[in-house]
Amino acid sequence: MNCRLIRIAVCGLALASLAGCASVGIKPWERDILARPEMALDANPIDTAFDEHIYFSKEAASGGRGFGGGGCGCN
Amino acid sequence: MQLTKRVPGELRLGLMAAACALLVQPAQSQEAVTLASDDEKPLQVDAGVLYYKESAGRIQSYDAIVTLRKDFGDEHILGLNGAYDSLSGGSPTGAVPTKAAQTFATPSGTSLKATNGAPVTYTTSSGRKVAQLETVTVYTVSTGALPLDTGFHDQRVAGDLSWSQPFEQNNHVALGGHLSHEQDFQSISGNASFSRDFNAKNTTLGLSGNAEFDKVSPVGGVPVFGSDYTQLLKGGDRNKQVTGGQLGLTQVLARNWITQLNLSYDSSSGYLTDPYKIVSVINTLGVATGYRYESRPESRSRRSIYLGNKVALGRTVLDISLRHGTDDWGSSNDTVDARYRIPLLGDDLYIEPHLRYYQQTAADFYSLFVSSAAAIPTYLSADPRLAAFSAKTVGFKVGMKLDQDNEVSVRIEAYKQDAKVHSSTLAGLSGLDLNPSLQSFICQLNWRFNY
Repeated sequence: MNCRLIRIAVCGLALASLAGCASVGIKPWERDILARPEMALDANPIDTAFDEHIYFSKEAASGGRGFGGGGCGCN
Repeated sequence: MQLTKRVPGELRLGLMAAACALLVQPAQSQEAVTLASDDEKPLQVDAGVLYYKESAGRIQSYDAIVTLRKDFGDEHILGLNGAYDSLSGGSPTGAVPTKAAQTFATPSGTSLKATNGAPVTYTTSSGRKVAQLETVTVYTVSTGALPLDTGFHDQRVAGDLSWSQPFEQNNHVALGGHLSHEQDFQSISGNASFSRDFNAKNTTLGLSGNAEFDKVSPVGGVPVFGSDYTQLLKGGDRNKQVTGGQLGLTQVLARNWITQLNLSYDSSSGYLTDPYKIVSVINTLGVATGYRYESRPESRSRRSIYLGNKVALGRTVLDISLRHGTDDWGSSNDTVDARYRIPLLGDDLYIEPHLRYYQQTAADFYSLFVSSAAAIPTYLSADPRLAAFSAKTVGFKVGMKLDQDNEVSVRIEAYKQDAKVHSSTLAGLSGLDLNPSLQSFICQLNWRFNY
């Protein structure tokens, strides 16, 4: 039951996000903060690659951010 | 429009021209932003080495990754990635600890019968002879100890190649490929993605697909699903295929906040069993009467939803993500991951604490052991990775900018995995920890430079 509620809430949030996208955003000259390298969505690809590899080999889940962790016989 | 009324004509024209000049510039999406420095230094190199060690004599590994990224101009980007892993140590076999010592053979020994009885030779369907030709190692696990195959060792070499570029206005396309080689596993995969920017590049919608083909060639051959461990019921190499897709939305929510929402689906088919894992057969007294090779379904589909956020709070940056996933093996999982980058001494030094919490429910066919009093189920596995457990990661990273083109960092983390069920009320197993916690330590060094 809890899982179902969480799923509905996440889907609702996702739909609300999509609907709100058209009016959400900033102007090009307001991108100074987002332009900082550490604000990139994957600012540390090496850390991400190591983490995906470790968690893929130790847990049942993988990926989500991208196609993470595959191509290994460790799981 | 009070502003226009108050500004003199010439100044107004100047401001309009400046605004137009800004608008003519391509609005910088996150990816484009990171490329600004690439234009100045075309080749960006990221190198990392990692040492991973589990406690209680379990796995340890040395890993290295080098990533090259070159922008040939106008966001035409070539990516190259090379990885090497060397693993050794003890891997849980799936058998539970018991109150009597237990004896096993390494996978190349194929079975106890081959080591304790008359030597047997068999030929896999790929024409590979095993048992007599390979070194047989028998090992004994002491009373109450978790059975580990301590002879485990492997090396992996992997490489990735990718290309991305703009495609007409506001679109991007990317193609990539991956190759991986291990002694007992080969993998090749390809991926393609398409993304489109909307809303003055504040919104990006992306669609990507992935196809992977694997060949599984276990040492000692592929055991027959669910067969008796003491029998030589093994076959030749097997294959596995994985196809997946992802729908992604990236949205700038505020001047200091960008978010990413991904919906993923993948479907695997073929040999999805771990050829080295076994399951204890336990009688009603809690005594092991034998072992079976594990058996998993030959198909699996997984779905996940991922929400990532990057939020700048002053000079600090919070990176927080949530993920929920399910699969048709009956397992579901949830992950919360948070990193908080705090600059020290200006922007040249920073520390980044990291916390991660993960939990999963067990696969339908997972059990600590199977009962000798009941029929052996079609699907069975005691692989701890399919059990219900929670896991925590705690660590930090310290990075330092040496100059404009060089940055080094070190990352130290601890990982702990606690199974939800790790005991039995059967007399012969009472008081034993049947699925002990996994604890590991991670130390990583990174070097990023522009060449």
